[in-house]
Amino acid sequence: MDEFQEILQDFLIESFELIEQLDQDLVELESRPEDLELLNGIFRVAHTVKGASSFLNFDVLTHLTHHMEDVLNKARHGQLLIDANVMDVILESVDLMKALLSIIRDTSSDAGVNVSECVVRLDLVSGGDGDVPTPVASAVKEMEDEDFMDAAEDEAEDDLDYDNMGADELEAEIERLLNQRQEEDKAKREAKKTSPKSESAPKPSEDKKKEVIPPKPAVKPPVPVAPKAVAKTRTYDNEDSDAKAAAPTKRTSTTVEQTIRVDVKRLDHLMNLIGELVLAKNRLIKINDDVEERYEGEEFLEELNQVVSIVSLVTTDLQIAVMKTRMLPVGKVFNKFPRMIRDLTRELNKKIELEISGEDTELDKSIVEEIGDPLVHIIRNSCDHGIEMPSVRLAAGKSETGTIGLKAYNEGNHIVIQIDDDGKGLDVDMLKSKSLEKGIITEKEADLMTDKEAFSLIFKPGFSTAAAVTNVSGRGVGMDVVKTNIEKLNGIIDIESELGVGTSMKLKIPLTLAIIQALLVGVQEEHYAIPLASVLETVRISKDEIYTVENRSVMRLREEVLSLVHIGDIFEVERILDSSEHAYVVVLGLGASKIGLIVDSLVGQEEIVIKSLGEYLKGIDGIAGATIRGDGGVTLIVDVAAIMQMAKTVKARVKIEDVSAKALNEKNKASDYIVMIVDDSKTDRMIMRKSLEPLGLTLVEASDGQEALNILKQGEKNFDALLIDIEMPRMDGYSLASEIKKYNRYKNLPLIAVTSRAGKSDRMRGVESGMVEYITKPYSADYLSSVVQRNVNFKSEFLK
Amino acid sequence: MSDKLKEIIDRQNSQQNSAIEQSDKIVQLVGFVIGEEEYAVPILSIQEIIKPIRWTRVPQTPQYILGVFNLRGSVIPLIDLRTKFGLKPKKHNEETRFIVMKDEDDVAGFVIDRLTMALRLKKSDIGPAPDTLAGDDSAIEGVGKLADKILTILKVNKLLERDF
Repeated sequence: MDEFQEILQDFLIESFELIEQLDQDLVELESRPEDLELLNGIFRVAHTVKGASSFLNFDVLTHLTHHMEDVLNKARHGQLLIDANVMDVILESVDLMKALLSIIRDTSSDAGVNVSECVVRLDLVSGGDGDVPTPVASAVKEMEDEDFMDAAEDEAEDDLDYDNMGADELEAEIERLLNQRQEEDKAKREAKKTSPKSESAPKPSEDKKKEVIPPKPAVKPPVPVAPKAVAKTRTYDNEDSDAKAAAPTKRTSTTVEQTIRVDVKRLDHLMNLIGELVLAKNRLIKINDDVEERYEGEEFLEELNQVVSIVSLVTTDLQIAVMKTRMLPVGKVFNKFPRMIRDLTRELNKKIELEISGEDTELDKSIVEEIGDPLVHIIRNSCDHGIEMPSVRLAAGKSETGTIGLKAYNEGNHIVIQIDDDGKGLDVDMLKSKSLEKGIITEKEADLMTDKEAFSLIFKPGFSTAAAVTNVSGRGVGMDVVKTNIEKLNGIIDIESELGVGTSMKLKIPLTLAIIQALLVGVQEEHYAIPLASVLETVRISKDEIYTVENRSVMRLREEVLSLVHIGDIFEVERILDSSEHAYVVVLGLGASKIGLIVDSLVGQEEIVIKSLGEYLKGIDGIAGATIRGDGGVTLIVDVAAIMQMAKTVKARVKIEDVSAKALNEKNKASDYIVMIVDDSKTDRMIMRKSLEPLGLTLVEASDGQEALNILKQGEKNFDALLIDIEMPRMDGYSLASEIKKYNRYKNLPLIAVTSRAGKSDRMRGVESGMVEYITKPYSADYLSSVVQRNVNFKSEFLK
Repeated sequence: MSDKLKEIIDRQNSQQNSAIEQSDKIVQLVGFVIGEEEYAVPILSIQEIIKPIRWTRVPQTPQYILGVFNLRGSVIPLIDLRTKFGLKPKKHNEETRFIVMKDEDDVAGFVIDRLTMALRLKKSDIGPAPDTLAGDDSAIEGVGKLADKILTILKVNKLLERDF
């Protein structure tokens, strides 16, 4: 049984490979029906599959391929002209063949597909009377049919229906074939030996024989298989086994491939390991930077630098190399489209030509598998809605045949797949009115829409411009699928269209999924990574530029209105109010939509390795995964598609918060002002307290920087100013100031240095660490009081 | 010669068998404290025990999920058992530990207040969970009886099950 499975595996792999090529060849054949070589190639495929399947006892498959072969054979001999009708039947049978093979793959048996209808049609096409009720009857009939054909003698033999033979008969047949083969070989050798000079003469004829009568080479694949299958029941005499041994070796020597098949799992594992290496590299670079800072000028630094750069270089190369092993040419997906277009043109009665270019462009395997469906939908859409009927095209002064261009090319770290058609283009007004009709957008939205936004309406679920639902499209599902799938790959869709001229759709997809470039952003004390592929730009805006429209925050970005959402609102970051007047907006683009994400800070760009959060935490909204940073910490990766969804439901708090911030800072009495005194000397604290008490402020004391920082961190009070001594144990004034300035919330908190250090450099340091005022001891009580009043905006009406 | 060999092999086999029998009756556990209670989990389900390290908060999760942390290149969820068991969160101190538990492919770190000890317990000393707490939904495997105290044995697969 195992042996059988092994043979079966080989058979399936071979057959699927053959059939993949078949579709393309057949479509080509339709345009060049006279191309004998092409026809022969196709015939060979049918024959090979038939031969092998009969060995493996797949009766239905054999039955089907047998009739296919029959039709093709006649065409090959010029007895039958391949026209569109014939091609339809052949293509149908190829489809059946695929279906059968898939069933065999899944169940190891070919039952369950009804081929009789197709076989009847094949038979009719090949000139029979269509009377082929059962496989057995047809086989007999077929043999009779073949008798009158001028096929070579051995071809008829090859067409013997193996599955109708008993085991003994079969073996006899194999033996006979082998003997025959051997004799032929011998004859060939003889011929070569005897007439070395006239070699050029017999060779072509031999070649020709091989081509015209391919059954010989085509039946070969089963031969190496045969010994395995039969060996159990019978031993052959020496001569026979020699022949058998000769056949397979000869075969393998001609098919030594430059490639090996590798389990995808192994490649995935390799990719994971590389991922670890990239993380380690990031960490090494960070450590190197730290060391560089600390031991500036030391000799060993240069050596370390060299090693680090070599390691990072090699890691990058290695990463690229492994990525490349996972790459497949995008042609693997493109291959099925000629056939699809052909079927569609017949179905829709249009004339469409498909032009493919750049099919050698390579993409990660996982992506190649994902883009098939979206492309099918887009191309069907172009055929159905884009390209007009031939008469309409002629009337519009275009050529009768529409053209769809499918091309792939690299652009930086992305691959672009572009689908162009020269059809009628997208009608913006029609798109809008249809969407209004279906309630996808409101009238107001429609008025505000730019053309680009209107184009992207076609991706809305439920949207369809087709007046009637046809077989091909019009259900309003397809383009929605396109959008979802492309977004899943972090891709961007760009549509351009001109009415009456055509539509061009660009899918921009990152090359790989496992290791990506990311923009790291900060919100309060947390960091998040945003895939750089989705980042269109970053802008720094002042808070005044944020407007509220219908309870949503928006801003004007050049000509567009961009809706905004704060990253803190999405990720429930506890936001200690920040009074900073500026915000950073990361403009995210995905598919055809855009959104502005407000963050507190931009940290930088880094290469990150995507890691899953595991079973326990999977499927968290807005989080695509996690990555490990150079410092060993974990940073979460933002799921841009999910964020765009979430942004719709998250309330706009950006503005509201501002209002509440103001309310909180409203001062109604002098004691609403809170000032902290930070000094390690109790006497000094007393002096300050005495100077400020007359104002009636609330005063809080801290005996060193650490304590002051802790009080601030608790966030119970809203301080209006800090008086800071410079010389303090545990944490000095400068460090305290720079620590405080790290918090957004305290960016604008006035820090006043009160110190006996009066040097210019001290003052400079004070300014650098964020102090706004510098008071040197000793000072007058009035002076201190006035400085504090100025800095907290003390209202004069509170002065007693 | 071969007889002797056979004898030795036989003896080894019987030793092995008795070892297995012994281990059948004994359960090795690791005990820890959360709040006032003492709990235990089978030692075989513990991958490692580490001192608290930095973790990253994960949004949109229940309060008892502190976030994720980096354990030698793997991103692992961190669950606070205090909060999960309805106790007030407490600041981590010198005795706080992360126990990394695994069940097949599921791995998570759990924050506990203090480790007690590793102990061997006869199966016969483990009683079923009280009826009111038993059942498939319960995270309690059973109750282990020691000379001076009892401890609650937890079901690791239940702890590692996502329940939100």
